[in-house]
Amino acid sequence: MAAMTERVLEIEDVCRSFGGVTAVDGLTLSLTCGEVTGFLGTNGAGKTTTIKMLLGLLRPDSGSVRVFGQDPVEASSRNRIGYMPEIAYYYPYLNARELLAFYGGVCGMDRKTIRERTDELLEAVGLADAAKRPLKTYSKGMLQRAGIAQALLNDPDLLILDEPFTGLDPLARIQFRELLGKLRTAGKTIFFSSHELGETELLCDTVAIMKQGRCIYHGPVSGIAGDGGGNLERLFLGVLEKGGVQ
Amino acid sequence: MNCAKLFLRRMGALVKLSLLELWRRNDMFVLLVLALVLLVPLSMARPFGVEGATRYFDEAAFLLIWAFSLFIGLGTGGRLFASEFSNRTIYPLLAKPISRGQVLLGKYLGAMIASWSALAFFYLLFAVSSCLRGGDGFSLCLLQAFALHAACIALVVAAAVMGSFLATPSASATLFAILFPAMFFFGRRLPDYAGNAVGPTGWLVWLFYWLAPHAEFFDMRQRVVHGWGCVDGVVFLVVLLYAVIYVSLLLVAARFVLNRRRL
Repeated sequence: MAAMTERVLEIEDVCRSFGGVTAVDGLTLSLTCGEVTGFLGTNGAGKTTTIKMLLGLLRPDSGSVRVFGQDPVEASSRNRIGYMPEIAYYYPYLNARELLAFYGGVCGMDRKTIRERTDELLEAVGLADAAKRPLKTYSKGMLQRAGIAQALLNDPDLLILDEPFTGLDPLARIQFRELLGKLRTAGKTIFFSSHELGETELLCDTVAIMKQGRCIYHGPVSGIAGDGGGNLERLFLGVLEKGGVQ
Repeated sequence: MNCAKLFLRRMGALVKLSLLELWRRNDMFVLLVLALVLLVPLSMARPFGVEGATRYFDEAAFLLIWAFSLFIGLGTGGRLFASEFSNRTIYPLLAKPISRGQVLLGKYLGAMIASWSALAFFYLLFAVSSCLRGGDGFSLCLLQAFALHAACIALVVAAAVMGSFLATPSASATLFAILFPAMFFFGRRLPDYAGNAVGPTGWLVWLFYWLAPHAEFFDMRQRVVHGWGCVDGVVFLVVLLYAVIYVSLLLVAARFVLNRRRL
């Protein structure tokens, strides 16, 4: 496990544009170990682009991104990361057990560990009974659960989740929230983008709010809640309108 | 952990995925249909009562094996990454501690092994049918033909992978479905054509000759069917080396394109 003071991720003055469109514009953000951070913003605010840069899927045009002190483009920097994409499409001809075995192999895990982790995770995400069904027969919520399981497979220190609550029914949301709570207790760092402000408020220590590629607020949820004395939704809208919190 | 062990585990997972895909997507049924088509010329023994005519049907069967293997190689190689991108499975895959180069190599090896399995099945069918009709069956010459054919298919798969990065899978498959047969049948005549052409045309034909994949180098149909015997060992090794170098260059180029591809 990472030391509690360790900087898990550091984004410094990062810019990234696509053609003439600036997706991320001078973003600076850092997380320490054990923090649970909600990454908020409207559609097109630059959340997914930032996440892709954290995973080394995209390179920044300028600025620097470090994950556990390493450049995320280096494959070894991802040894301690678990990632769940926004849209969970996996190999439809595999079943959940085979999917986890595949990703375990890609992570370089041995068979025994893969088997043990698979049993444990399928139970935790509620897919144990459907483990041998092909993924093409899964509902959207079940695919999300499979996505969560694959993200947790290598017991990561940093969990990056892109819209994790999408497609989950209320019961699955509660289960997922409990699961994230356990991970938080275990000292894992969790960074997730979401439009679900209620869930974010319940789960997070801090929030980072993006607007037009810039981070206009990064601080404790309690801080932002105290600013207007209302719920996160109202205050989120307030921050977006003001363009920043002093 | 031992780096080699880690590398092998990753390659193993990617190869297994390609083979499972082949099996689960019912591609095996396509293989069986192709095998049935192949059995038509192979079942011809002394057709029309003409002694020796069997050879020409064997040659037709061999040509079918080449056509089918090309079709399988282009299909398997072309959809390797196209399906990863369209299904967006590339994101969670590349978010794992594996480099793009390793993903490319592992998936390429999987597609190559899948294509080789289909090729081995066709050759087995050919050898068994040859045995049943009193022919040589599993000869050294047939083994050499299989090795060269497999090397050519490795090249086809690499070209299809590279092509799928530069164009749509169907466009690249169409291009190579024309290029490989054209080289297979007319490649050896290109120097004559270049010699006779004047001006820039001649230079262009020479350029094409040196750059295009020479599928005709791997063709041992006549030797097997007409019993002309094995190719000289040195020539055999040089042709294999040619395939290895060409495949390596294609994979290096594909890695370069994949590394720069915006995800």
